[in-house]
Amino acid sequence: MQKAKSIELEVAVVNGIELPGHWNRMFEPRVISEYDLSVLDQVTSIPGAESLGYCYQCGKCTAVCPVETVGDYSPRKIFRKTQLGVSLMDSPDLWLCTTCRNCLRVCPKEVNMIDIMPAVREQAVLEGKAPAELLTAFENTARYGNPLGEPPRKRTEWVKSAEVPVPVMSQVKAPVDVLWFVECYPSYHPRGKDASVALARLFNALGVEFGILGTEEKCSGDSQRMAGEKGLFEMLAEHNIKMLSKYQFNQIVVTDPHAFNAFLHEYPKYGGQWPVQHYTQFLAPLIDQMHLTRPLNKKVTFHDPCYLGRHNGEYEAPRDLLKAIPGLDLVEMGHCRETAYCCGGGGGGMWLDSFTRDYTSQRLSEKRVLEAVEYGADILAVTCPYEVSRFEDAVKSTGNGGRLEVKDIAELLAYSAELI
Amino acid sequence: MAGSDTVLIVGAGPGGIEAARGVADLGKRALLVETKGDIGGTPYEYYATLTPDLRETHEAMHEMVTAVKEHPLIDLRLNTRVVNSEGEIGHFKVTLQDESGSRTEEEVGAIVVATGFQHFDPGRETQMYGYYEYDDVLTLVDAEQMFKAGRIVRPSNGEVPERVAFIQCVGSRDRQIGNQWCSKVCCGIASKQSIEIKRMLPNAKVFIFYIDMRMYGFWEDMIYWKAQEEYKVNYIRGIVTEIIRKGDKLLIKGEDTTMGRPMEVLMDMVILSVGMEPSKGTLEMANIFNLPREEHGFIATKDGGPLDTVSTKVPGIFLAGAAAGPKDIEDTVSMGGAAAMKAVATLNRLALEVG
Repeated sequence: MQKAKSIELEVAVVNGIELPGHWNRMFEPRVISEYDLSVLDQVTSIPGAESLGYCYQCGKCTAVCPVETVGDYSPRKIFRKTQLGVSLMDSPDLWLCTTCRNCLRVCPKEVNMIDIMPAVREQAVLEGKAPAELLTAFENTARYGNPLGEPPRKRTEWVKSAEVPVPVMSQVKAPVDVLWFVECYPSYHPRGKDASVALARLFNALGVEFGILGTEEKCSGDSQRMAGEKGLFEMLAEHNIKMLSKYQFNQIVVTDPHAFNAFLHEYPKYGGQWPVQHYTQFLAPLIDQMHLTRPLNKKVTFHDPCYLGRHNGEYEAPRDLLKAIPGLDLVEMGHCRETAYCCGGGGGGMWLDSFTRDYTSQRLSEKRVLEAVEYGADILAVTCPYEVSRFEDAVKSTGNGGRLEVKDIAELLAYSAELI
Repeated sequence: MAGSDTVLIVGAGPGGIEAARGVADLGKRALLVETKGDIGGTPYEYYATLTPDLRETHEAMHEMVTAVKEHPLIDLRLNTRVVNSEGEIGHFKVTLQDESGSRTEEEVGAIVVATGFQHFDPGRETQMYGYYEYDDVLTLVDAEQMFKAGRIVRPSNGEVPERVAFIQCVGSRDRQIGNQWCSKVCCGIASKQSIEIKRMLPNAKVFIFYIDMRMYGFWEDMIYWKAQEEYKVNYIRGIVTEIIRKGDKLLIKGEDTTMGRPMEVLMDMVILSVGMEPSKGTLEMANIFNLPREEHGFIATKDGGPLDTVSTKVPGIFLAGAAAGPKDIEDTVSMGGAAAMKAVATLNRLALEVG
């Protein structure tokens, strides 16, 4: 019996011309001659992936899936292909989802890609089917404690440029109010470091009693978990919980919404339960003490991070902070708050740029930057460490250099408070 | 003259039973006439279990069937047909004929017609499903007989089917066939049957090919979601257009519309979800009682609107169940109660007018 095949070829060349994406479907047999249900059975028998079989094909997800805007993709389509017998395990589809949660928001049957993706990916990783560049990020994280592959001892190097005290807990030897979990990109990435410097200066100006783990901190691992490396995540969680448990503090403040998600929902499962806030939530009640005096006469739009907004329900704190900056004109993009589109970095997307590029017509970050430009923004304000680098690259690649700036909210606040 | 204190109920399916019981419980005499040798109607005769709760039909209907048989005010006439009617509200003179051909005349004050539907005959289908050619093409009714017997096998060879497909909307929603209505219950029954097949044959692959799934109210999660989520029934949007014999299997051909691709898949057994048409009894009663039919051929209600589902255009004659159009059992029983209430109210009003 002839089995149904994936309808898209990786590459199709006709008369020497390489055809992209969905144009290739004409070269595959169109007639469906079998529904090989063993594939769907196999996928939905993976704990966490059961709900893929619940899809009743309404297509609501397709309309809100950011990946669909740059490709031929949605949970509905993934279900149908799987029902036809196409192996999700072997399909690029498995790695294109950024776990942005927009589909789950609208899904009447609660087909939960946030559970399905890590569950199926974990299986694929175990079977050695993960894309090579993702494996590199996993290996870096395992070896160095960060996906960038930077030396662990350089994790606190950014502190020098802060020019304000950034106490490291192992040297403080006293309880602090706030344990600031800095995370990898804010520690190592040049633009991430700029935001860390800004936030360190804000903390100092506000008189916050804080400390960081310094070289004792490793990646929170949440995106590695969503990308299918649960074992690695568990290792990182256990390490970070062990380190944090050494010290006394009232609460954790994180720079990274992905770390926020891990501390809120995952670390408690491993015994790490502390009050946690994203830094925008921590700062929002302190607006009056921040002395935001320098005006910023710009049109600013805000990109809601998936893991702060849709995943964890915080939409106001970042906006309250932006609105407190004198002169700042906050304009909302069409897709904002609950409907915000993803930057493409979540769920492992951060480490799959080349892979994703082969299956999409555009980067999600480029799509989002174009939306910011369309709504007339001078500055695209962000508050997730993945975004500054992604969006700055996208500004350049879409030819909007000099037209749109990308700034972390911490940077905008520090600017207005004349701290940078 | 006050008129007769009796209500004639024609047809002893769920609607007629509920109407007779209602009339009798309200203190009037119910004359319940049924052409067949037992009461219970189409579900009781043909369906192993009820939709949507999957209860065994005879067990579920036992209470209402017994109540009718035992009620002192219900005069049940089995194997009896209504062959003539004269007169009007309060004074209908109806002629009944039993199986031996002997006739009796009864005077009744009001009438409830509950003569139901018949299943669409797939021989009239334009898509060539081959019901009369292929042993392994069945209808929902044939499948129920298998459930009753407790054995699901391919009629062609007696083997257990590995792959079963339901085809929805057979004889419904089709202008060419002349049935421009949705039969309302077939999506639910196919889903219910797919659950039963999976319960009896857990390894079977079951597919439902549909144009739209129409699972009203609680049927949505009671059977549709249950079939898909718990029993892994495969719903494929796109209807099958023809069935061709391929070796000892059936090749079903259609379009998988959510994929936008043609589909040709082998099956061991195909079940046609045949819809509802007015039963022969319904058409006969329309003639005998001079009841106008609505444009689809079922008996018309008084104003055709949604606010009075049981009054006909003839004063004193009411409807219950699928004689008025496709109905599920819930609606049928509800109509039986409403028709009883209106019939008794009619008798009471006539009595008051005279008094």
